[in-house]
Amino acid sequence: MNPADAPHPDSGAVDSLNIDTMTLAEFEHYLPHFFAAYNGRISDNPRFAKLLAAYPDCAALVRDLEYIAETARNLLEPADEPSDAVWSGIQSRLQSVVPEPEPQAPALEPKK
Amino acid sequence: MALDPTTTGVLAAPETAQHRRNLPIAGEAEALERARAGDPDAFSILYGMHKRRVYTLCLRMLGNVTEAEDMTQEAFLHLFRKINSFRGESAFSTWMHRLTVNLVLMHLRKKGLTLISLEETMNPSDEDSIRRDYGSQDPLLAGAVDRLTLERAVAQLPPGYRMVFLLHDVEGFEHNEIAEMLECSTGNSKSQLHKARLKLREILRHSPASAEILKRKETEP
Repeated sequence: MNPADAPHPDSGAVDSLNIDTMTLAEFEHYLPHFFAAYNGRISDNPRFAKLLAAYPDCAALVRDLEYIAETARNLLEPADEPSDAVWSGIQSRLQSVVPEPEPQAPALEPKK
Repeated sequence: MALDPTTTGVLAAPETAQHRRNLPIAGEAEALERARAGDPDAFSILYGMHKRRVYTLCLRMLGNVTEAEDMTQEAFLHLFRKINSFRGESAFSTWMHRLTVNLVLMHLRKKGLTLISLEETMNPSDEDSIRRDYGSQDPLLAGAVDRLTLERAVAQLPPGYRMVFLLHDVEGFEHNEIAEMLECSTGNSKSQLHKARLKLREILRHSPASAEILKRKETEP
């Protein structure tokens, strides 16, 4: 079967795959799932050591993708500031906004 | 039926992202209490505390200043309307992020933008294959990408890739949460994220800022 046609594995199935005997095409197919299953980091996972040692360019790709994901975490901190017009717009509409009352828990039916 | 962005399709963000967002802000709890009691000055304080995060999130998701400002305005007005439904089960900033993400997604759906192309995901083109990345002897990207360079590269991603990348790698949502938000499968979310990172690698390798550093790395002994 063409690896691209293989079904998406769940995390349990990923654990049971034999990585050492995989072809590059199979590794390519499963790579998004490996990243997802191992918290975005596989380059220092012993399960992948043999395959990555056999394919240095593949190992470089994996490390680049890990680096991109790690660098992305720095973007959580805000970078931009809205113009003053945003608050002016909010203020002008705020007078017509009425906070909705706190949602009440549904009343329990009386015991029969 | 009108959808409620405070609840629609978004589960709790994962602990790591929550932890990063949950750092206490001095005076926030008091401002929240006063806002719930209808004090308009308290809304101003809450806006000042959260405007940059909300606006940055909108701008990255939408890629357009005017739309981002409109959505920021809508997000805060929605917040003021729904302030009493915040029960403190998660940090206020996490609640605010969920609300904002859902508002933006609802806005994009109204515009008719397909957030995830299922067909494209299930039948990746040769262009998207990572195999073309093998065989190169380029130096690693590590150390060659600063925040601004990455920010610019993310802005160049196609909307579907950008959305999943922002939600997962920046905002810290899990694939099952993203799948629910974007109404796709978790496999789809993983696949889109992977393609987004591959595309970013390609963009970053060719960006002038990174290329200069990579060139130096290549010539280093």
